[in-house]
Amino acid sequence: MKILNWLTQTKLWQSIFRTKLPISTNLDKSLVIFNSLTLHIHPVKVRVRAIKFSYTFYLGMISFFLFVLLIVTGVLLMLYYQPAIPHAYNNMKDLEFVVSNGSFLRNMHRWSAHLMVITVFLHMLRVFYKGACKPPREFNWVIGVVLLIITLLLSYTGYLLPYDQLSYWAVTVGTNIVQYIPITGEKIRFLLLGGSEIGEYTLVRFYVLHCIILPLFIVLLIALHFWRIRKDGGLL
Amino acid sequence: MEMKKSNPENSNEKNKISRRVFLTSMGNTATGIVLLGSFGVTLEYLSPNVLLEIPKIFKVGPVNSIQPNSVIYEPEQRTFVVREEQGYFYALSAVCTHLGCTAKWNDSGVAGNPDAVISCPCHGSLFNKLGEVIQGPAIRGLDKYRVQLEEDKLVINTAEKVSEDEMILKV
Repeated sequence: MKILNWLTQTKLWQSIFRTKLPISTNLDKSLVIFNSLTLHIHPVKVRVRAIKFSYTFYLGMISFFLFVLLIVTGVLLMLYYQPAIPHAYNNMKDLEFVVSNGSFLRNMHRWSAHLMVITVFLHMLRVFYKGACKPPREFNWVIGVVLLIITLLLSYTGYLLPYDQLSYWAVTVGTNIVQYIPITGEKIRFLLLGGSEIGEYTLVRFYVLHCIILPLFIVLLIALHFWRIRKDGGLL
Repeated sequence: MEMKKSNPENSNEKNKISRRVFLTSMGNTATGIVLLGSFGVTLEYLSPNVLLEIPKIFKVGPVNSIQPNSVIYEPEQRTFVVREEQGYFYALSAVCTHLGCTAKWNDSGVAGNPDAVISCPCHGSLFNKLGEVIQGPAIRGLDKYRVQLEEDKLVINTAEKVSEDEMILKV
C-alpha cells in the first residue's frame, strides 16, 4: 500500500493519469470520468436506468466490440493473404487447412461480420422504437444510417476476397445491379471492377476498399457517433 | 482603406472591390480550381487505360467440322456458337441480361419446356435457342454477335452486337 501511495505521487504517474489521488469528494469522482479517454464515453452523471441491460440491450457496444474483433482477426488474416489471382483462393484454402488455427480465425472473422450486421440492425430498431432518433439526436441517427451502409459495404467487399464461385457470382450480380443506376451506372461499375469483367484489378480494388478505405471512414464516423451521444444528452 | 469605405458620398468608391475581397476571392478561386482539377485527375487515374482482358474477336472452325444442329460453347468469351441444319450460323452471348450470370445450354430444354434450351442458374431466366426470353426475370433477349466467314473459319466479334435480322450467317 505504501509503495502504491508512493507510486501515485511520482511525476511519471501523475503525467499519465491526470486525476489527483486519493478520491474523496464528488468532484474527484467526476474528474476520474472526465479525465479518462475511455471512461468519458459516458457523461459525468449517468442515470442508473440508462445503463441497465434491458434499456439498450448494449446493442451499440456489442456492435463496436464485434468491430474491434473484426479489426484484430482481419489484420491477422492479412498476414497470409495476397489479393491476386490465383493466390487469393489458395491462400484462403491454406488458412482453412494448413495454417495453425487459421480456420478458427477465419470463422471468427466471418461470424463476427455476420453478427455485426445483425446487431447494427437490431441497434437501429431499438433506437427507432425508443424514439431516440428524434431531435436533438436526429443527426446522430443520420450518422448511424451511414454506419449501417458502410457495415454492409464492408460485408460486401469482403465477400469477394476468398475468390471462389460464390464470391465471383455475388460480385457479378452486385456490380450488375450498380449498372442499372441511370447515366453513371456503367462508369461506376467500370471503376468498381477496374475493367469490364471481374479480374485482378477488381480483387485489388475490393481488397483496398475492405482493408483501408471503408475501415478508415467507419472509425472516423464511430468516433463522431460516440461523441454525439454525449453531446446530445447521453443515452436514450 | 477604412477611411474610403466610410465615405458613402463617393459612388465610385462604393462599387469598388476592396483589395482584401479581391485577393480572397482570387485565392478561393485558385484553391477551387486546384481541388476540382485534382479530383478530376484522381478520377481519371482510377479508370485503367490498358486492360489485360480476353480478346473480343475470336475464331471457331473450320466450318466443315462443325456438326449441323450443334452448339459450341466458348467459356472464355461466354458465347454460344450455333449451327442450324440448313448451314446457318449465329453467335449468342451466354451472359444473362438480368444480372450477368452465365446461362447454360441444355438441348432437351428445362422445366418441361422443350423450347427453353438456355437457362440461367442464378435467378431462373429461360431463353429459346434464338436467345428470346421465355421466362423472366430477364426482360431483354440475349445479345447476338456478328459472325463473319474468314477463309474456312467463323470470326465472331463480341464487341459488335447485331439485331435479329443480321445475326444469321448463311454459308
